[in-house]
Amino acid sequence: MNEKRISRRDFLKVGGTGMAGAALLGVVGCGAKVRQSSSGGKGGGSTGNSGSLRIAVVPKAIGFDYWATVQNGAKCAASEHKNVSVEWKGVTQETDVNGQIQLLQDFITQGVDAIVYAATDAKALHQVSQQALKKGIVTINIDSGTTPQPKQVPLIATNNVAAAEKATEYMAKKLGKKGGKVALIEFQPGTETNTTRVKGFKNVMKKNPQLKLVAKQSSQSDYNTALRVTSDVLTSHPDLSAIYAANEPSVLGAAAAVQRAGKAGKVLIVGWDTASGEIKDVKQGLVAGVLAQNPFLMGYKGVNEAVKKLRTGDKYTLKSIDTGAVLITKGDLNQSKIQSLLNPSCKNPPTWTAQQ
Amino acid sequence: MSDATTTEERGGGILRERLSDFISQLAAAGALIVIFVFLSLTSAQFLTADNLFNVGTQTAYTVVIAIGETLVIITAGIDLSVGSVAALSGVLGVMTIVNLGLPVPLGIFGGILVGAGAGLVNGLLVTVAGLNPFIATLGMLSVARGLVFIFTNAQSIFGLPNSFMLLGQGEIGAVPIPIIVIIVVAIIGYFVLSRTRLGRYAYAMGSNLEASRLSGIPTRRYLTAVYVISGALAGLGGMIASSLINSGQPNFGLGLELDAIAAAVIGGASLFGGQGTVVGTLIGAFLIALIRNGAVLLNVNTFYQQVIIGVIIWVAVFWDQYRRRKLESSS
Repeated sequence: MNEKRISRRDFLKVGGTGMAGAALLGVVGCGAKVRQSSSGGKGGGSTGNSGSLRIAVVPKAIGFDYWATVQNGAKCAASEHKNVSVEWKGVTQETDVNGQIQLLQDFITQGVDAIVYAATDAKALHQVSQQALKKGIVTINIDSGTTPQPKQVPLIATNNVAAAEKATEYMAKKLGKKGGKVALIEFQPGTETNTTRVKGFKNVMKKNPQLKLVAKQSSQSDYNTALRVTSDVLTSHPDLSAIYAANEPSVLGAAAAVQRAGKAGKVLIVGWDTASGEIKDVKQGLVAGVLAQNPFLMGYKGVNEAVKKLRTGDKYTLKSIDTGAVLITKGDLNQSKIQSLLNPSCKNPPTWTAQQ
Repeated sequence: MSDATTTEERGGGILRERLSDFISQLAAAGALIVIFVFLSLTSAQFLTADNLFNVGTQTAYTVVIAIGETLVIITAGIDLSVGSVAALSGVLGVMTIVNLGLPVPLGIFGGILVGAGAGLVNGLLVTVAGLNPFIATLGMLSVARGLVFIFTNAQSIFGLPNSFMLLGQGEIGAVPIPIIVIIVVAIIGYFVLSRTRLGRYAYAMGSNLEASRLSGIPTRRYLTAVYVISGALAGLGGMIASSLINSGQPNFGLGLELDAIAAAVIGGASLFGGQGTVVGTLIGAFLIALIRNGAVLLNVNTFYQQVIIGVIIWVAVFWDQYRRRKLESSS
C-alpha cells in the first residue's frame, strides 16, 4: 500500500515540472508562427536594363504536347531578348500540388528574377505567389491562376468558360432541334481548368433542353482510362448522340472508343486541345471539332511580359491577357492562320488569337 | 506407427495449404459473383457480349501485370515499379517501331525486353546489392518514369502502323486478342507456379528465405528471375496498353502498381509471402474491373469507385486472415 502512495514532495515535484514545462511551452507558443524565409533583396531590384535574367517557367506537369508547346513559346520569347535564360521544370502529374509548391519554393529560395507558372491548384498556390511577391520576384500565371489572384500577378490564359460555350454551341447547332443524349468526359474534377470547362459546357446545355446529359465520367487525364469509361458509356447508352471531352487524353480516348464501337461519325465529338492524334481524328471526321488554345502564346507572353516588367520597372504595369481559343473543324485545317496556331514557330508566333 | 503419423501430418499440411488457398479464392470469387449478379440485374447492358469483351480487353494489361506482381508477392517481395516500367516499355517499344522502323513483332518483343531489363536491375538490387524490395522497386518506379520523359521529351508518340493495333484491338474469331493474351499468360503463370521449380521455390523462398537457401535453393538466381518475369510482364502490359490506343503515352500507368497489388491481395496473396495464386489474382483483377465498369454503367460518381475498391481490399484481406486463423486453430 505504502509504496503506491505518492508523497507530497513527489507530487509537488511532478506538478512543478509539469507547470514549468507548460509555461515554457506557452512562451514558445506565443512566439510561434509559420516559418518564413527572411526576405532578402534578391530579385527584380538587382537587375539593370540588360543584366542577365533567370526566369523560371513551371507548367502544371510535363508529359503532354500542350506543355511542350508552352515551353517552345517560352524559349522563343527568351531567344528574342538578350541575356534571358528560361529554366523549365515541372512535376510529372497535374495532381501533384505539393510537388509543384516545393518546386516553386525552391525557385523562390534560389532568388530567380521571375516566375511564370501554371497553378495546379487555385487555392493552394495562392500563398506561393504571395511568397514570391514578398521576395520581389515578378510573378505571372499562365494557363491557370490562383484564388484569389493577387493584383500584381497577371493571368495569361484562355477564357475557358467562353471557349467551352463556343464548342458546346457548335455541338447544339450540329445536333439540331431534335437534340439527343450527351456524355461529358472530364479529366480532373475539382481543378480550376476542369471546373471552368465544365461550367461553360453546362451553361449552354441549360439553354438547350433538347440536349440531355446522360453520363459524366472522368478520364483522370489518362488515354486508356478515357477509352475505358467512354466504351462503358457507349455500352450503357447505345443511342448516344454527342460527347464533350474536356482535354487531350479525354478526346483521344473518346474518339478511340467511338471508333471501336463502330460508331465513327454517328457520335459527334467536340473537345479540347490539338495533339497530333486529335488533329488526325478531326481530319478523318471522327472528331467534329477541337478547341485550340494558344499555349505557345502563353509561354511566349508569359516570358515576354516578365522581361518587360523586369527591364522597365515600375513604369510597366502587368495586365491579364486572354490568349483566346479557336474551334477547329475539318474545313479549317488548311487555313494558314490555323496552321500557324497548330504548328507555332518562333518566326511567326500566332499572336492573332489574343484579345486584351 | 511413427511413419504413418508423419505421412498423415505431411498430407494434412498440404491439404491445409490447398484448402486455405481455395478458401481465399472462394471469398474473392463470391464477391465477384455477387457484383456480377448485381450488375446483371441493375444494368440492361452489362450482360452483353460487347460489354464483357470490352471489360476483358480494357483489363488485359492490368491482369498481365498483376500476375507478375503476384509472383513477386509470393516471394515476400513487392514490385512497385510495374506502372513506370510498363510506360517505359510501351514508349520504347513504340519508338523502335516509329523511329527505327522495326517490324511490329520485333518492336513488341523489344518492349518486353526493356521490361525484363528493368526487372533484372530490380532483381540484382534485391539479391546482390541487398536492398529491400520495396526500396529497390521504389527507386525503379522513379528511374523508369524519368527515363520515359527523357526518351520522349514528355511527348506522346503517334504514327504507328495499323498492324500494331492487333495486339490490343484485334480479334481471333469473335474473341479479342487481349483476352486471349490474358488466357495464355494465366495458363503459363498457373503452370509455372504449380508445376515448375521456379514456382515451387517462389513459395518456399516466400515462406522462409533463409531456410530455402540452407536447403540448397540458389535463392539469388531464382529471386532475380522472379523480378525479371515481373518486369517482362509489365513490358507486355505496356505494349498491350500502347496498342489499345495506338500510341505511346509517357503518362501511362501512373498508380497501376496499386491496381496490380490490389488484385493480387484481393485474390488471396499475402504480403508476408508464401501465399498467392494466379486464379486468385485473376479474380481480384476482374473484381476491380467489374466495379469500374459497373460504376460507369450505373453512372456512379467517379470518386466513389476508389472508395469502393479500397473497402473491398480491406474486407477481402480481413476475411481471408480471419478464415485462415480459424482454419489453423481448428487443426
